[in-house]
Amino acid sequence: MFLVDARITGKRLVARDMYVITMHAPPIASTVLPGQFVNIGWSPGPMLRRPFSVYRVDGERIEIVLKAVGVGTAQLLSMTQGDRVSCLGPLGHGFEFGAGPRSAVLVSGGLGVASMTLAARQAASLGIRVTWVHGARTKEDLCSESDGDDLIWATDDGSKGVKGTAVAAAPDADLVLACGPNRMLAAVAARWPEAQVAVETYMGCGTGVCLGCAVPLKRGGYDRACREGPVYRASDIDWATLPSHLSYAATP
Amino acid sequence: MSVDVGALTLRGPILAASGTFGYGTEVPLLERRALGGMVSKGIFLRPRSGTPPPRIVETPSGMLNAIGLQGPGVEALIRDYAPKWAEWDFPVFVNINGESAAEYAELTARLDGVPGVAGFEINISCPNVEQGGLYFGNDPRAAAAVTDAVRKRTRLPVWVKLTPMVSDIGVIARAVEAAGADALCAINTFVGMSIDLNVYQPRLSFRTGGLSGPAIRPLAVHLAHQAARAVRIPVIGIGGIATAEDALEFLVAGCTAVQVGTATFVNPRAIAEVHDGIAAFLGARGLSSPADLPRYLPRD
Ligand SMILES: Cc1cc2nc3c(=O)[nH]c(=O)nc-3n(C[C@H](O)[C@H](O)[C@H](O)COP(=O)(O)OP(=O)(O)OC[C@H]3O[C@@H](n4cnc5c(N)ncnc54)[C@H](O)[C@@H]3O)c2cc1C
Ligand SMILES: Cc1cc2nc3c(=O)[nH]c(=O)nc-3n(C[C@H](O)[C@H](O)[C@H](O)COP(=O)(O)O)c2cc1C
Ligand code: FES
Repeated sequence: MFLVDARITGKRLVARDMYVITMHAPPIASTVLPGQFVNIGWSPGPMLRRPFSVYRVDGERIEIVLKAVGVGTAQLLSMTQGDRVSCLGPLGHGFEFGAGPRSAVLVSGGLGVASMTLAARQAASLGIRVTWVHGARTKEDLCSESDGDDLIWATDDGSKGVKGTAVAAAPDADLVLACGPNRMLAAVAARWPEAQVAVETYMGCGTGVCLGCAVPLKRGGYDRACREGPVYRASDIDWATLPSHLSYAATP
Repeated sequence: MSVDVGALTLRGPILAASGTFGYGTEVPLLERRALGGMVSKGIFLRPRSGTPPPRIVETPSGMLNAIGLQGPGVEALIRDYAPKWAEWDFPVFVNINGESAAEYAELTARLDGVPGVAGFEINISCPNVEQGGLYFGNDPRAAAAVTDAVRKRTRLPVWVKLTPMVSDIGVIARAVEAAGADALCAINTFVGMSIDLNVYQPRLSFRTGGLSGPAIRPLAVHLAHQAARAVRIPVIGIGGIATAEDALEFLVAGCTAVQVGTATFVNPRAIAEVHDGIAAFLGARGLSSPADLPRYLPRD
């Protein structure tokens, strides 16, 4: 875990209203694992830091992908090259690739691409054949940077790829990794109980001390999205108790 | 930078507040040199799973939390954390909780003498099951009864953490002082509520939560000051401290030491910065210790 005073080095558009922000954070770039996140703060800004998955690593830089859904994300998107943010990470427990899966299917809904790019690279480096299924509302909302050995698009309105959800469009595989709105992840859990899913919760500290990021477990009790998570075995989560709304429109 | 809290000398005036620091083992970044001590997450005798999410929500200059005192119970604390604390060079106080005075007493008896446990901070912001759920901290007799029950089970320092949700904090402060408290911690969070207009419902699943952060600081300075005026025992100030100046306000208002909570979520270096800032402030004014600060503490 590092606390880095990170300089913003770039920003690019990857879908409607969806941007990738690049920042210089060498110790995080060299240690982050797929599915991990950073907790970002800046001043003046909201009081609490905001968690973002690490989307990609490029040398000494890390990238995050986001849309403006509230005060914090809007402020981050209005920053320009040279502005600085305080970046805490890498945090959390990411995806596991285990011993010897030969095929992986990556399912991402909307901003769920955020934790998939690193996972796709890792899987490829382990010789796993990757099928990436990426879904969004319409063609314009699909992230242009998804990649994999096979790429399947899904849109709610059928404007590109399969009409319907990414979950419905996905084939089976040895390893299923998913990230997107909690509602989509619940559907993943119903189809693939063994899938690994990256969930979102509100966070206080991001480091495991406040217990604010509680994820309800099937076996009873809660653990911490920022520590034991944000990646879980889909069947371990009590989906009925995990807030699916959070009135959070970023990952539709 | 050392301060005396009753008979106990702390190497510095800043402690980490309960519930914002876990069990002290989670954050590797922490600059331990700056810690005068630490108060662990509130514990009950038995494990508690806590409240369903959402448990926290940000509010202007602050946050509401309703964690529901999730914790592994005292046996796990003794097994998993106390042995680590025993090796540290600063004292760890255990924030103790119960549903009855007898439960606080049993918890204290179990923890007394366990290596690594330096003392007790009684969280009296708990509902008293025997009194229909009325908070111990709102009733001077119940607050005194809990303090007395704990006091009788240990010779270690006993601190009582006061709730701000009272009409006269001085009354509670005097009651627990008379019952044998060695120091007071003022204050715990204020009860607050935030509504989500998208669903016409409270944002927290528990409906209400405890407000912390800079939003409560002036209220906390005032309440800590009122508590300090009411008693002779030391008061440890808590509430919205993020900088050295914030901490110095509490010290000048009559506190002997302070605790820093929510600010550490925002800035993992907050405690070190507060520590170094206080040292610089004292140095610039030729004061050799926090105890030499002029106090604004008129006695009536
Ligand atoms: C581990 C993790 C990884 C994340 N990765 C990304 C990512 O890569 N890209 C991305 O765009 N977002 C990501 N998020 C969500 C992101 O943190 C929130 O969108 C952000 O905190 C909102 O901040 P804000 O100030 O703009 O919103 P606010 O003004 O605080 O709130 C705006 C709306 O967003 C909702 N909201 C606030 N915080 C969260 C949250 N943590 N989760 C869900 N809803 C929330 C609120 O209910 C509100 O309706 C991630 C969250 C977690 C926990
Ligand atoms: C997430 C969270 C959990 C807390 N848990 C406890 C607790 O278990 N016991 C307790 O006495 N106080 C608890 N508190 C209160 C703090 O110790 C402190 O009194 C309060 O937050 C005000 O200080 P601050 O503004 O510096 O955070 C908690 C506060 C927060 C934010
Ligand atoms: S966000 Fe604080 S424990 Fe996870």
